[in-house]
Order: sequence, then C-alpha cells, then structure tokens
Amino acid sequence: MKNSWLIAVREWRERVSSRSFIMLSVIGPLIVLGMVYVMFALGGQSKQHWNVLIADPGGIMNNKIMPQIDNSVTYAFADGYIEVDEFRDAKKYQKFDALLEVNEKVLSNKTGFVFYREKPSVRMQTRVHYQFERRLEEIVVKEFTKMSLSKFRSIKQPINVTFADVNDPEDEANDLSGWAGFFFGTLIFLFIFLFGMTVLRSVSREKSNRIVEVLLASVSPFQLMRGKIMGIGMSAFLQFVIWISIIGAGLYFMRENIFPDVMDASNINIEQLTLDANDASYQESYYAAREYNEFVNLVYERVEFGTILGFFILFFIGGYLFYSSIFAAIGATMGSESDGQQFVIPIVIVLCLSLYAGYYVMNNPETQMATFLHYFPFTAPVVVMVKLSQGYEVGHAYEIYVAFFVLIVSAFISLLIAARLYKNGILQFGHRLRIKHLFKWLKST
Amino acid sequence: MNTILEIRNVNKSFYQKPALTNLSLKVQKGEIFGVMGPNGAGKTTLIRIINRIFSPDSGSVRFDGDLMVDRDLYHIGYLPEERGLYRNMTVEAQAMFLARIRGLSKSDAKVKIDYWFDRFDINDWRKKRVEELSKGMAQKIQFICAVLHEPKLLILDEPFSGFDPVNVELIKQELSEMRAAGKTIMLSTHNMKSVEEICDRAVLIDQSRKIAEGSISELQDAQKSGLIAVRFQGNMIAFVNALWTGFVVEDKIILGDNRFEVHLAVRGESSFDDLLKVLMGHVKIEAVWEMRPSMQDVFIQLVQPKKEEDEK
Repeated sequence: MKNSWLIAVREWRERVSSRSFIMLSVIGPLIVLGMVYVMFALGGQSKQHWNVLIADPGGIMNNKIMPQIDNSVTYAFADGYIEVDEFRDAKKYQKFDALLEVNEKVLSNKTGFVFYREKPSVRMQTRVHYQFERRLEEIVVKEFTKMSLSKFRSIKQPINVTFADVNDPEDEANDLSGWAGFFFGTLIFLFIFLFGMTVLRSVSREKSNRIVEVLLASVSPFQLMRGKIMGIGMSAFLQFVIWISIIGAGLYFMRENIFPDVMDASNINIEQLTLDANDASYQESYYAAREYNEFVNLVYERVEFGTILGFFILFFIGGYLFYSSIFAAIGATMGSESDGQQFVIPIVIVLCLSLYAGYYVMNNPETQMATFLHYFPFTAPVVVMVKLSQGYEVGHAYEIYVAFFVLIVSAFISLLIAARLYKNGILQFGHRLRIKHLFKWLKST
Repeated sequence: MNTILEIRNVNKSFYQKPALTNLSLKVQKGEIFGVMGPNGAGKTTLIRIINRIFSPDSGSVRFDGDLMVDRDLYHIGYLPEERGLYRNMTVEAQAMFLARIRGLSKSDAKVKIDYWFDRFDINDWRKKRVEELSKGMAQKIQFICAVLHEPKLLILDEPFSGFDPVNVELIKQELSEMRAAGKTIMLSTHNMKSVEEICDRAVLIDQSRKIAEGSISELQDAQKSGLIAVRFQGNMIAFVNALWTGFVVEDKIILGDNRFEVHLAVRGESSFDDLLKVLMGHVKIEAVWEMRPSMQDVFIQLVQPKKEEDEK
C-alpha cells in the first residue's frame, strides 16, 4: 500500500500543479455561476417587446386597455373582424406580433384568443392575460355593478386550486427538482469523463516514455494502477471541493448582494401589488419574481444539498473506480500514445448514454427501464442523482443503497479485469491494439 | 556465502513460445557478471524475472541465500534497456520519487541525492524539468536513479546502448568503483568489447537456453584454437626451417624492417617450451603468446553453429 500511496501522491502533485487543473478549478464553477446569474438576471430584465393588435368588433373595450404605457407591450385596436389567415398573411398586419380577438360575447363567456407568430415567454403571456383581464374587470364593474372599481378589487379574491400527488403532497419531486438532480448527474459524468481520460493519458504516457519498466521493478502492476487511480481520483475530489466551494460562495453572494429582492419570496406582497397595479416597474418585478421564484426556491430551499452531496461523493467514487479502471486497462494495452482510440470511443459513447439515461429517467421515473438504468453500473451514477432529487417513494430508500452496492461490486470486478489486462499489456510496445490482444491478455495469467 | 543471486531451473514461456528453458546460473558477490546473447535469446526476460516484473513458470530465484521476496527489490537497482523519466517533473523530485519507491526514507533519500548530485556535479540541474535536459544529461539522471539507494545488486540492461561515449566511460568507471566497494553488477549487453573489458564472469544465452557460463578467461579458453603467435626479426626461411615438423605455419603478417608475426599450429606432442627451444639462435624473438579468441569470437563461435544446425 505504501508504494501505491507514493504513486498516488506523485500523480496528485502532477495533476494539481498542472495549468489545466488550475484553469478548470476556476473556470468550471464560474461558468456554472454565470449560467445561474443569467437565469436570474434575464428574468428580471427581459426586454422582449410585443406589438398586439386587438380585434374588437363589438367595441367592448372602447379602444382602451392600459391607463399607462407599458414598455413591453404596445396595443393597437381594429374595429372589424380579422380572420387568422388574413392576420397571418396580410402585409399591413406584419408589424404585429399577435392578434387578441375579443368576441362580442366576451363578457359572458370570459374568453379571449391570442394568435401569435412566435411563441411568447410565459411572462409575456401572463402580462397580456393580466392586462386584458383587468380592462374587462373595469367594464364588468361599470356595466353590472354599482360599486367602485377599487371596492370590487378589494373584494375580489382569486381562488387557487392546487393539484397534488398523494405520495408527494409537498410537490418535492417536480420537474425542477429532477433538473437539479440532472445537474448533479451531469457533474458526475463530467468528472468521470475528464478524470477517466486523465487516467488513460497518464498510463499511456508512462508507457510511451518508458518509465514504466523502472517503476515495475519496484511496484507490482496492480499497485501501480491502484496508485494512479487513487492519485487522479484525489485530484478529482479536490477539484470537486473547489467547485462546490466557489459555487456555494457565489450563490450566497448572489443571494445577499445581487438579487436580494428577487431571491426572497417574502418580498412579494400580492395585495400591495394589486393596489399598485398601475405602476409598471412594480409589475415588472412581480412578473420576474413570480416566474423565477420557483427556480430560486429550488436552488436555495428545496434541494437538500447535504444529502445530495453525500450521495454524490459515494456515487462519484463508485462510478470513477468503475470507469477509470476501464480507461486504465485501455491505456495499458495501447501500443502507442495515439493507438487505441477505437476502444476509447465506445466507452465515451456509453458515458454519454448515461447522461441520456439521466434525462430519460427524469421524464419517465416510474418505468421498468428507469429501474434498470438505476441499478445498471454504467448509468447508475447519473441516474441515481436524478432519482435522489426527485425523491424515493416512502419505504423505498433502500434502493439507493442497493444501487450503490451493485456499483461498488461492479467497480471491484472491473478493477480485477483491468488489473489483468494492465499487467499483461503494460510492457507490450509498438503493436496496434486489437480485440484479440485484449482476449489474449485477459486469458493470460 | 558468496553467491548473491542464484537462478535454479527457471522456465518461462509466453503463449507457448519458450523464453527461458531450464536456466540456472549463479552470480557471485562483488563481481561484474555479463549476460550475453543474440536478440530474442531471453536476456530481458531473465532480467525481468529477477526484478519480479515477470514470475517464472517454474524454477526459483534466490537472493542472498534465500528465496527471493518483494522486499529484496529494495536491494536491487535496475536500469532497463527501454528507460525513461517523467518529462515534466523536476530532476530532484524525480530522484526523490524513485528513491522512495526503492524503499528509502525521505531523509535518507535527501542525503543520497545530495551525495550523487555532488559526485556527478549536477547540482545546477536540481530544479530543471527533465524535458529541458539534453539526452546525455537525462542519461546521467537515469543512472543516478538506478544506484541512488546503493543496491547490493545493480542490473543494467544494455547500459551502453544510447549513451554517448563520454557517459559510457563515466559509467564504466563508476561500475569499476562499485565493484571495488563490494557491490555486484549484472549487465546484459551486445557490446562484447565491454564484456571483455569489465566483466569477471558471463553467461551466454541463445534461443532461451544457457549455452555457456564461466569466467571470461574460461569462456575464451574453451573456444581457443591452440594457435601460438610469434613476433620476430630475422629471416623467414630460417624461421620455417627451424620449426621442423613440430609446428605448422597457419598465417603470417609482414610487419616491415624484416619483422614478421606468424601464427603457428602445434603438431603432436610439441609444446610451447619446445617452440622457444627450436627458435632460439635462429631469429630474434620479440614476443610469443598463446592466441585467445576475443569475446566477439567466442560469441560468434558459440551462437553460429547452433544457427546453422537449426537452418538444416
């Protein structure tokens, strides 16, 4: 073990002092933080502008919709009927992004239709809906009641109905949670891929610069492979800790300093918003908050980072051992540094498929295929992250431990097979690696 | 106990092709032992078995009297034929790493590094990366890394191939000094001149089998032709007449100034002393010696007939 440790420490030092490690340690988390920032920031400051033509043949709206100018939407009115085909093709309507059709029975059927050219954002839909609804309220209050508009609005309370799963009444397993798991799965994929390839390159380089025979005169091939996988795994772990620290610090900083209003749901006072509905800038923040609050809530409240990080580490170790031993075996059996690509590509494809498996399970968590992918060692590290964030059913938490056990046993078998290939292939030079070599070295003692 | 390494009936084959067949040999403490043989004879396999890189299919390896175990590798230094260094490590870090995996503690390794770097006058290179060094400089580092832990047995596989002539001389000198200090050296080489110059004993391996083992003079004696060389000044006819029937001229070289070197085959019961007796008074003898084959000749004579037999 002492020799493996010496080899691991050498590998670790070499990796950690390399420029690419330092770059990846800084740039990787900054990219993640940048993406989060963009998702938060763009939400509050969307500049999408819409030209909406309101076809109001009954003159119900009296050519009015908003008392003040809204920078995001400009309305124009047409008196007659406009057919959808005509709106779509006629030259004079091309400047409009959407047609809001107000039929003459709108006060009774409470329905409007919006025909758009390009699908608007949820925010834009909400905005147009909201402004149209408020104008109709004015008309309804005026036509059918004697109360003032402000009185009506103070009485009016929307009734919300929430549909919830009996197994998950808190809705912890919604799509966004799945995405959070998928993010962690992608992170595992990325780390296994990057550091697995590092193992392969390191082994093949040692072989091509011929230091390997000097090493093998002091350590066994298994000790050498174990040390190498340990050392590179340690550097991967260090990199992960750096990533989590920077991302964690960045999220904290954003919450406290850049988006304190958007990030906190308690900052949104619906009643106050209702009274200040005419204030366009306030509406702006209301829409932004309503849309992004879910994401913020997910990032800061719903994801149980402690649990996810704990299992992330376990499954990263298992997945890394499983894949890196395969990469080490390929590196050891290559005839030259440029040889063996035909064996690397299938492994990389399998790794990429594991990413797709995570996406599949996110969308189809209950299928038999999802269960298989959850236990299959090639896909388990990514899929388990998705399942974990979606939540296991009550009484089924043991599944994650079973998946981990299967992964560790598979990693152990993979290490044993790799050790044999490593031992028999490491001192073979100059050949072109073929499948028959692998079988030959696998059979040889 | 003078034997440091004993190979007993070792067999090794790769995918049914024999690499070593029933090979036995002994290496004595404090000697320089040569391992000779044509390409593919099994030299590198033997060395890798001693270094425990390969395990033999049967037979045993004994080190310092006992069956060899992993810990004995701490007492062996190895410079393989295909040698290299980590290109992006500094010279000092590299030496430290290789010393540590050869069993030295950090503090011991530091002392040894200081000693060898002083001895080879390479202290200025300590912080240089290997990729910045010339080939000759890298060769010195490789040698130092092999001897840093002061092994009892140093194994060198083709130590002179790829080394520049200056380094070859330097290494020969180091090897002689190590032998004087009681260390044992085993070297595998194609360079027969080096074997003759520095080895005490040698083994010749061909097609996985040992075909000869012994001291250099024993190996040469076994292949000697029985010719005697005479260098003299005088008349060639008088010289031939003096020989009478006891000796036959096989070859002659005219040296000028009435000087000749003649190679003679001995007939019947005639001896070296008889030759001196019959020649004295007839020519002026400058030198007489028994002709011994060079190690190159020994090598060719031992390997060639076997090849011819195989071809038949």
